Amino acid sequence: MPVSDPLKALMDRFPEPDANGTYVNLDREKIEAMQAVVADLCKGGRESVLGLIDMLAEPGKGDDIKPHFAFHLLAVHVTGLGDEKTRADFARAVASQIGSDRPKGVRKYLVQELQWAGGREVAAALGRALLDPDLCDDAARALAAIGDGAADEFLAALSKVRGPSRLSVIKKLAVLRCRKAAEAFRKALGDADADVRIAGAWGLARIADASAVDALLAAADGAREHWERINTTDACLALADGLQAAGRKAEAVRIWTHLRQTRTEHADAHVREAAQRALEAAT
Amino acid sequence: MHERTGGMNRRGFLKGAAAAGALAVVPRHVLGGPGQAPPSETIAVGLVGCGGQGGEDVNSYIKNAGGSYRMIAACDVHEGRLAGARKKFGEHVYLYTDFRQLLERDDIDVVSIATPPHWHALVCIAAAQAGKDILCEKPMTRFIAEGRAVVTAVKRYGRVFQIGTSGRFGAHKSGHGRTIHKIMRSGLLERCPAVHIRKGGFPVKRYCGRVDLQPEPVPDNLDWDLYCGPSPLRPYHPHRFGWSHRYYWDYEGGSLADFAQHYMDPFQWTYGKDDTSPVAVEALAAPAHPEACGVWAWVELTYADGLTLVLDGNEWGPRYDRKPAHRLSLDDLDEATRKKVEALPDPEKPRSFVEAVKTRKPSAGHAEAAHRAVTIAHLANIAIRLGRKIRYDPVKEEIVGDEVANRLVTQPMREPWHL
Repeated sequence: MPVSDPLKALMDRFPEPDANGTYVNLDREKIEAMQAVVADLCKGGRESVLGLIDMLAEPGKGDDIKPHFAFHLLAVHVTGLGDEKTRADFARAVASQIGSDRPKGVRKYLVQELQWAGGREVAAALGRALLDPDLCDDAARALAAIGDGAADEFLAALSKVRGPSRLSVIKKLAVLRCRKAAEAFRKALGDADADVRIAGAWGLARIADASAVDALLAAADGAREHWERINTTDACLALADGLQAAGRKAEAVRIWTHLRQTRTEHADAHVREAAQRALEAAT
Repeated sequence: MHERTGGMNRRGFLKGAAAAGALAVVPRHVLGGPGQAPPSETIAVGLVGCGGQGGEDVNSYIKNAGGSYRMIAACDVHEGRLAGARKKFGEHVYLYTDFRQLLERDDIDVVSIATPPHWHALVCIAAAQAGKDILCEKPMTRFIAEGRAVVTAVKRYGRVFQIGTSGRFGAHKSGHGRTIHKIMRSGLLERCPAVHIRKGGFPVKRYCGRVDLQPEPVPDNLDWDLYCGPSPLRPYHPHRFGWSHRYYWDYEGGSLADFAQHYMDPFQWTYGKDDTSPVAVEALAAPAHPEACGVWAWVELTYADGLTLVLDGNEWGPRYDRKPAHRLSLDDLDEATRKKVEALPDPEKPRSFVEAVKTRKPSAGHAEAAHRAVTIAHLANIAIRLGRKIRYDPVKEEIVGDEVANRLVTQPMREPWHL
């Protein structure tokens, strides 16, 4: 859609970068101009937001330095107004474009900005973006940062995504300490992909799942590769800490005792000692 | 590439040699005769990050502290830098492009981390999980939650951690510094009237990132995906790699992130703040770009006891003029309190990394202190990026009443990485 003349005129007021491509040249006058542009964009509501998005370009496909910067400042601006409606309206306007036919690079940027300004109202739109492998990583990080409403979107996406996207979803469910994902974490322990197995272990530790003690210890004991072994062992220790904090001392002691008894190699001395210290602190 | 051989480690060799009664024919350098550091005192190091700072910390914190080290292995995502590591440390050095493989080695005692900061926390944590002690370049982390995760890992595995700055050694040598430290740690001072102003020493303008980066082809000798690691995968541009990574939020955080740890280390020790953080932060800065760091004038941070810390960039914008500098002294105390403080013993001398490795006690630049010091820079940058005052809970390590600000305290990572 062609950009309106008033919007073009507004962006013309936004300062240019200097000859080195930086904004070292900002002075009080230029900053006031930036703030005024952002305030006017905010007043323009959805129409301004969509018009500004029309001015964004994919990396390498055009000069959008000023709209790119202005868009971010607008996102930050709406989060600091103390006006929840304005913020949510902005976020909804941005989210409405994530699934559009705009260039992928532009949509990635919109998702990234929702990590700043988005709330529960955009969780569903970000959830749909999880299904696009090109947007999944950014959408997952945005959803995890937003938190509110995110877990349901990740759970819904879990059966629909594959490969790196699936790993992303499992990991972010662990970030959110989603107890409803316990079964998914447990299943991940047996995955063909080591990174997924590590994610499952981490998830079970994050939710302090007492019923996962045996499975997690077996995963750590059975890990063949060093990276997986140190990560799943750490998950065991983290699970023990979580169980201890939750008053499940017996299960925690079981983990520490097992690790103390089984990590007999010289290279595992630090694990043995960690377990020993934990046991001493617990008694 | 020099392949890693499996099996025998250094300690295993010594044990085997002794059992075989072979000590009589073991070379002198193994036993540590005159002029030779015995192998049990020679620290075996693996270096992760072979750029400009790569290898500096081993000199600063091992060699210059009276210890000796041997570089066993080096890792970098750039093959040219790897080749440089071999030139610098010798042909014997095993080379890796993935730090996870370096950590598999059981003949490494210490991992020295000199990657860009967005990798510091993950490599520190993995090193602790692998049973290695840690030297970590400053800034310790890229965001606040990373620091707490490193502290947890170091404590869990009983590792020694040293940050790549040592200002507190000088602070301890200062008689006045020791006096302030005693006053602050005595618990006798209810409100601290001190205003500590760090003016200048931040290359504010030089550390501004470019906003006009256009994608370029990834060089054949660079693993760009692994370089980006936990940070967003951006289109490659040489300004995001090498020295200038400092100018971007994805990898560091501008002049504040790069320099504050140096200045905050002695400040924090002097004022006894290694276990806490400011509770209010306000900045005067230009509006912040989403990817490129920009210019800032000053940042004012206040602790719960009233201590004020000011970081004045002294390059751009107006200078800080809200409060005059005020160095705490015995004159700030009443007579009775002064006498009590004067009767207190001097603070313990900061422990070197070499001594810490031997005794298994915390080093001077331990993880908690380093985390709290860099948190100052991160809080400053959060206030700058949001353009508003923030309040911080130093116990929960959360920003109070600003959920968006908390999204900068804890930042979800790109797969397959997590804290």
